[in-house]
Amino acid sequence: MSDPVTVLEEEIEKARHPFTEAWEMFRRNHAALVALVVLTGVVIMAIIGPALYGRDPYDMVWTPFTRPGENWDFILGTDYLGRDLLAMIISGTRVSIIIGLAAAFVSVFIGVTVGALVGFYRGWVEEVLMRFTEFFQVLPTLLFSMVIVALFGASLPMIVLAIGVVSWTAVARITRAEFLRIRELEYVTASRASGARNGKLMFRVILPNALPPIIVQSALMVGSAILFEAGLAFLGLTDPNVVSWGQIIGSNRTYFLDASFTVTIPGVAIFVTVLCISLVGDGLNDALNPKLRAR
Amino acid sequence: MTEPLLKVENLRIELTTRAGVTPVIDNLSFELGHGENISFVGESGCGKSMTALSIMGLLPEGVGRIASGSIQFHGEELTTASTERLRDIRGNEISMIFQEPMTSLNPVYTVGEQIAEVLRAHQGLSKKAAWDMAAELLDAVRIPNAKSRVGDYPFQMSGGQRQRVMIAMALACKPKILIADEPTTALDVTVQAQIFDLLRDLRRNTGTSIIMITHDMGAVAEMAERMIVMYAGRNAEIGPVDQIIDRPRHPYTKGLISCVPHIVANLTEERHDLTEVPGIVPSLQEFGKNRCLFASRCNLRTDECLRERPPAREFENGQKADCWHAEEL
Amino acid sequence: MSDTPLLKVENLTVRFAVKRGGGFGKKHFLYAVDDVSFEVAKGETLAIVGESGSGKTTAALAVARLVDAYAGEVDLGGHEILHLEGEDLRRVRRKVQFIFQDPYSSLNPRQRAEDVVREPLLSLTDTPKEEQQKIVDDLFAHVGLRPEQKRLFPHQFSGGQRQRIGIARALATQPELIICDEPVSALDVAVQAQILNLLRRLQTEYGLTYLFISHDLGVVQHMSDSIAVMYMGKIVEHADRLSLFNNPLHPYTSALLSAVPTVDKTLREKSRRILIPGDPPDPVNLPKGCRFANRCPVAQDRCRETEPDLKTVKGGHRIACHLVDHTAVSPL
Repeated sequence: MSDPVTVLEEEIEKARHPFTEAWEMFRRNHAALVALVVLTGVVIMAIIGPALYGRDPYDMVWTPFTRPGENWDFILGTDYLGRDLLAMIISGTRVSIIIGLAAAFVSVFIGVTVGALVGFYRGWVEEVLMRFTEFFQVLPTLLFSMVIVALFGASLPMIVLAIGVVSWTAVARITRAEFLRIRELEYVTASRASGARNGKLMFRVILPNALPPIIVQSALMVGSAILFEAGLAFLGLTDPNVVSWGQIIGSNRTYFLDASFTVTIPGVAIFVTVLCISLVGDGLNDALNPKLRAR
Repeated sequence: MTEPLLKVENLRIELTTRAGVTPVIDNLSFELGHGENISFVGESGCGKSMTALSIMGLLPEGVGRIASGSIQFHGEELTTASTERLRDIRGNEISMIFQEPMTSLNPVYTVGEQIAEVLRAHQGLSKKAAWDMAAELLDAVRIPNAKSRVGDYPFQMSGGQRQRVMIAMALACKPKILIADEPTTALDVTVQAQIFDLLRDLRRNTGTSIIMITHDMGAVAEMAERMIVMYAGRNAEIGPVDQIIDRPRHPYTKGLISCVPHIVANLTEERHDLTEVPGIVPSLQEFGKNRCLFASRCNLRTDECLRERPPAREFENGQKADCWHAEEL
Repeated sequence: MSDTPLLKVENLTVRFAVKRGGGFGKKHFLYAVDDVSFEVAKGETLAIVGESGSGKTTAALAVARLVDAYAGEVDLGGHEILHLEGEDLRRVRRKVQFIFQDPYSSLNPRQRAEDVVREPLLSLTDTPKEEQQKIVDDLFAHVGLRPEQKRLFPHQFSGGQRQRIGIARALATQPELIICDEPVSALDVAVQAQILNLLRRLQTEYGLTYLFISHDLGVVQHMSDSIAVMYMGKIVEHADRLSLFNNPLHPYTSALLSAVPTVDKTLREKSRRILIPGDPPDPVNLPKGCRFANRCPVAQDRCRETEPDLKTVKGGHRIACHLVDHTAVSPL
């Protein structure tokens, strides 16, 4: 027999990036795929909608409480001040999406940082940060965010911060759990044997491998931040200078019985967007969870 | 010759995967006599465990199915038996122990409760009687202070003790056949020796036939009278253990024996390179093709091997090897 | 061993704090490695054998500076390495590399094969980029991987190929000492031979020194020049390959040897099986005396009273057993 290697007839797999594989898994979840298409539409609307639909959402343009379909110039009708609801919804998309993304970013940033530190270091760092996390976990979230907004004023950045600050503990917990698991794997030890420093171990070796559940959680976070903002807006704690979906509901809530459409239309917008985000999150979970990936 | 306890004929098990339908067990036949110990040997992915699961009627639902062939237990056909009948046989007449004693016990119940549960389900014993019986069984598998340890939870026991509990559970209903799927792979070698010793004694005392699945030729040599070497879902070689170890007639068997450095009676300075079996087990897509599936790793390969699946060649004492070159070896 | 050893370990002790009995329970210590000393000559292989919980892997990790030792000295090529930090430690890491047990978890799933092999070069050396690539390509060829496999991710390889990647990574910085922690125990039997042969070939090719950790006496018999048997954190017997396998002195070693199932018929018929009952004692609450006494078939009263020292008998054979004297006759 000649060299054993030449006898082998194994096929060589093509180098495929994990992203390709994840996308293939994602594609198989049809609901998530549809949701992704809808979400893309929502995002496009947020970006170019106001430019395309030139009407100012603050302009009082017609009789208040024009019902949808009564006047074809205002397809979705008008609110209690006679403003065009469609213009408000379009402009609100941008604000709601921005709030959702920004608040999710804040909470993921805090959550990942705390979770990574708690999961990586033992001893006093872990003790102190865990108590800190538990403190935030037991705070009533809505009340606490209301206090922040009430104290520091209802500006957009403050609302984003308030939502982020009350919702990062979930991300921290997930990050910590993943870090605790991955820290014990041999490739982390192997990296240490190769001379990697702690910072590199945490953020270049462990974090990328911990990302899948964090990404899923972050996606869901965007949805819940939009909902949270709507909740605050409904209570009147919102930036009066910008239109968001929640704010439309909040300002029209007094007229709910007479003109329910002023509340239900932005409500449906929130519902559809948040549902789609959840479905995409679910799809991401399938795509990124190696256990579900058929070998 | 008496009727064998278990008779498997031309068994074919198909697995439905994304890539299509593949025969993970392809035309397998063997017999198991009363009180006999037979071993299945091969690398992972060769269909050893699948054979055991099919005998137990535990093929993964919706994925695996018996496509053809027969499994006869005491003359009773199992492939067509009803689910109820299979459930009745399972645990009662044929039982199984698994590789991982850590995960095959339920952590929230005491070991006594888990053994008693089996006894009550299959033999209708009262709660008290089942509990006492559980203690007796623990004693039979040589757990010290069995009486006081029946109330222990699995986490309070060592790996070896957990495997003993699994054996006690499997033996609870005095099965005719005990299937042991890599029973000692997760255990230390001194504990493995204890478990082997226990299994040998139990077999002597109860006459239970044992089917042991393993990858360790040494364990086969210690435990079994006959062995079946499996490769890619097919029978590679079957026959008496000592005879096969002395003179394997299939290059895969030969490779499995000589690729492992064994402990020998008189060690010398001399050290040879180990015989390599190059490559790995073929992927599922290759299964079922009409050629020798081992050919890609074989140094005796000729055109014949790639053209057609080799038939079984028979040798003395029922040794059979599925290889075109069996006589040359 | 006449010339100066490459690796000299003296009185190495590693302990872990364990909490028992609730959050405020007293701190107990588990001595995973307890006062262990050994030497490895350059170009040779010392195997440390033992069962789970014997401390063999912990000892290896401590030598590689991957867990912190509590006490003792580790001397590599004449330099004490246990207390090095920073740049000095990185210099040592270059010389001591590790091959891990589980090829499925020892490669970062997000790194391509070539990046796995390149990592030690990046972190530990200042090798210029072009040269790094050349070294990586070279290593791929040496461990039997094909160049077109460089860009693949770990999950696209079989277990044996993954272990080859792990070996290439260990070789990247041209180390003197390679610690192999159960390098084949997670692999299929037929693949084990490929890796073991590769390791032996590389040893001659590069003049490597191995510290070989294993529970498999067959593998150890094949790979090593001398063997240290560990039990519950202690070395109980240490001898060259032939004396240990042909003339084991410690009852535990004998039991271990006789417990290995073998295809050798003469050995099976010759050796009466020495079955040692029970399980090892609780490592946190070690009994007084010899740690093996509760399972030892020939234990006497003094074995339960005082712990035996590791003493040298005939021909450099070291043993920790009261029942073996300078005559070097096994008590069994």
